[in-house]
Amino acid sequence: MSFIVRNMTIISPGSPMHGKTDIGIAQGMFVDPQVLSGGEEIDGQSAWLVPGLIDCRVNLREPGLEYKGTIASETKAAVAGGVTTVVATPTTDPVVNSPADIHLVLERASAVGHCRVLPTAMLTQGGEGCQLSEMAALVDSGCVALAQGNRPFQSRKIEFNALKYAQSLGIRVILDSESRDFAGGCAHAGRIGIGLGLSLNSPLSEILGLGADLDLVEATGVTAHFSRITTKNSVERIRKAKVEGLNITCDVTLAHLIYSESAIANLDPNFHLERPLRTEDDRLALISGIADGTIDLIVSDHSPHETGAKLAPFPETEQGMSIAEGVIQLLIQLDHQGEISFEDSMAAMTTRAACFLNQGSLGAIKYGNSADCVLINPNQTTEFDHSNWLSAGRNSPLIGTTLPGRILGTWISGQRIARR
Amino acid sequence: MHGPAALQLTPDGRIRHLLTTEGLPKSLIIELLDTAETFLSSQGQPVKKVPLLRGKTVVNLFFENSTRTRTTFDIAAHRLSADVVTLDIRTSSASKGETLFDTLKNLEAMQADLFVVRHSAGGAPFFIADRVTPNIAVINAGDGTHAHPTQALLDLMTIRKHKGDPAQLSVAIIGDLKHSRVARSLIHGLRGMGCPDIRAIGPGTLLPGDLEHLAVRPFHRIEDGLKDVDVVVLLRLQKERMTSALLPSEREFFNLYGMTESRLHLAKDNAIVMHPGPINRGVEIENEVADGPQAVILDQVTNGIAIRMAVMAMTLSAQKNDQS
Repeated sequence: MSFIVRNMTIISPGSPMHGKTDIGIAQGMFVDPQVLSGGEEIDGQSAWLVPGLIDCRVNLREPGLEYKGTIASETKAAVAGGVTTVVATPTTDPVVNSPADIHLVLERASAVGHCRVLPTAMLTQGGEGCQLSEMAALVDSGCVALAQGNRPFQSRKIEFNALKYAQSLGIRVILDSESRDFAGGCAHAGRIGIGLGLSLNSPLSEILGLGADLDLVEATGVTAHFSRITTKNSVERIRKAKVEGLNITCDVTLAHLIYSESAIANLDPNFHLERPLRTEDDRLALISGIADGTIDLIVSDHSPHETGAKLAPFPETEQGMSIAEGVIQLLIQLDHQGEISFEDSMAAMTTRAACFLNQGSLGAIKYGNSADCVLINPNQTTEFDHSNWLSAGRNSPLIGTTLPGRILGTWISGQRIARR
Repeated sequence: MHGPAALQLTPDGRIRHLLTTEGLPKSLIIELLDTAETFLSSQGQPVKKVPLLRGKTVVNLFFENSTRTRTTFDIAAHRLSADVVTLDIRTSSASKGETLFDTLKNLEAMQADLFVVRHSAGGAPFFIADRVTPNIAVINAGDGTHAHPTQALLDLMTIRKHKGDPAQLSVAIIGDLKHSRVARSLIHGLRGMGCPDIRAIGPGTLLPGDLEHLAVRPFHRIEDGLKDVDVVVLLRLQKERMTSALLPSEREFFNLYGMTESRLHLAKDNAIVMHPGPINRGVEIENEVADGPQAVILDQVTNGIAIRMAVMAMTLSAQKNDQS
């Protein structure tokens, strides 16, 4: 099947096609519409055509946590948010830890998935932070990076060994920096959390954790990615470390760009996250980190839960927010609010993400690339309610809201995906 | 979900649940204190029995250990002629949230009228109040380190009785404010009553980080903080503050912050000394002060029964009017 999309504007930062108004899609790739004979003509209705988003942190919950979400349900939700590639976290049950686990995820994704799924695996066996995983075998079987998730290493020495071993094999590691001594607590240790008498998470947990991790990255020379930074301090330290030549990247979650600690004032458990929402000052620093490129990627950290997981007093609820199906709409909203330009957020979820994953054929609309793209009208809106919600996790502040942007069409590998 | 403070009021501003003293209007606080005083006899003791809540069922839902608070709620409910059921529920499993929700629905099905809730998680009574059917009232008997509004009200009642309008007073709260729901609720209550001078006295490890926002002045030296205050509020020091390295020892705490006769002289001559109990003699307070003429600690206990009677009567009457 081939298509020619006309009467739209291509937004693909860094691509020679950026700003063009028509494109051809044939044999799974973007092609010059001039040389394409035949093909379905699509009227772009003056909308935007953007590369399919790449979301580098999504909890698909499969295997083992299917009562929270499945590869089928959550990839469907992601596509509704303009995402065509997801990087799956390994913190399932059991954790993704062997080539067989990787094959399982890839096979399920190819059988029932609605978008491209790139698996990651645990750095240590069972995620227990004691013994190294078979990193080479995992990478050979299709794992794009190794991560420790929110599970601690048993010691800094073991972390050092894991990073050193990964470095020697040229494997990228993803770190969630946190000091065990200060970890825990369901709310940022600020005015709101203190006032509500909640257990507190001090920014020192990230400050001390990131400091130690940066030292270990420097000592080992590993290529490291710092995931889910939340503080102004982290933005400043990573900025400085990059200037000094350290081979690192980092990401921020969409929730931390949109919300700050005041979101928990009503004790809405949807805002109980693994990394607490911090101050408005921190949020603004994260936004400036996107603008100047200190922060490389925006991730959804999509975390669907069954209803019971959030049906308890705030501190006792499980952490995380179901947010995948509103990703591109939230990016448009951030643009409309003058906080992050759409081009900056697109770069953080397309070109830079493709580069991060070494997926040269993704993340940009240009001839020869895989035809993953989304046609979206920024002047229309999307309503989110219980009747059209796709994720198995209804733990979302988006339900009951209307966001700017309406997806008119999505293509993955040149295949047109049915609309929401 | 509504804002926590809004959840406890009816649309016309009466008290539907009592969850926190934060944001509670001055007029309502005064009405609660006035109502409580009507439950005291001319000798200052709570009246023995009135039929106000006859036929009503009060359920004490205690997810956290408590003997004293629970007993005062029991007595208050009995004096109002209510039927009282007490459930001691230990939270243990990871699914305790579901248990709480299910417990709640079961008790509703048994047609309870009022839940008195104590829970170790901050916000738990809000979770319950947000989900109960409209004819059930919820009273927070202490949630985590968040709030203990009936204690704050009985403290305000005691202060008003002995010293008059809090809007004319200086109040010093001494000790572990950081982990104290009593202190937090009292501060909100005093602010609601217009108290112009609230002071917090303790070491840096035991003072919370939001005092400035609450317009409370912190003091690390008791000699500075006690000067010319009308009311001295002591807080109970828990043993775990030593094991978690927030304090070296009880002895050092007493040496720095213990209420002694000589220190009490720094306050105004007729200042009162309060404590939510149970007191640790030789830790927060020396015997001479605890048993001396300025201590009103036992009066607080008596007022506690009257306050809990007032809160139960007022919340249930708001429910009744809401339905009609």
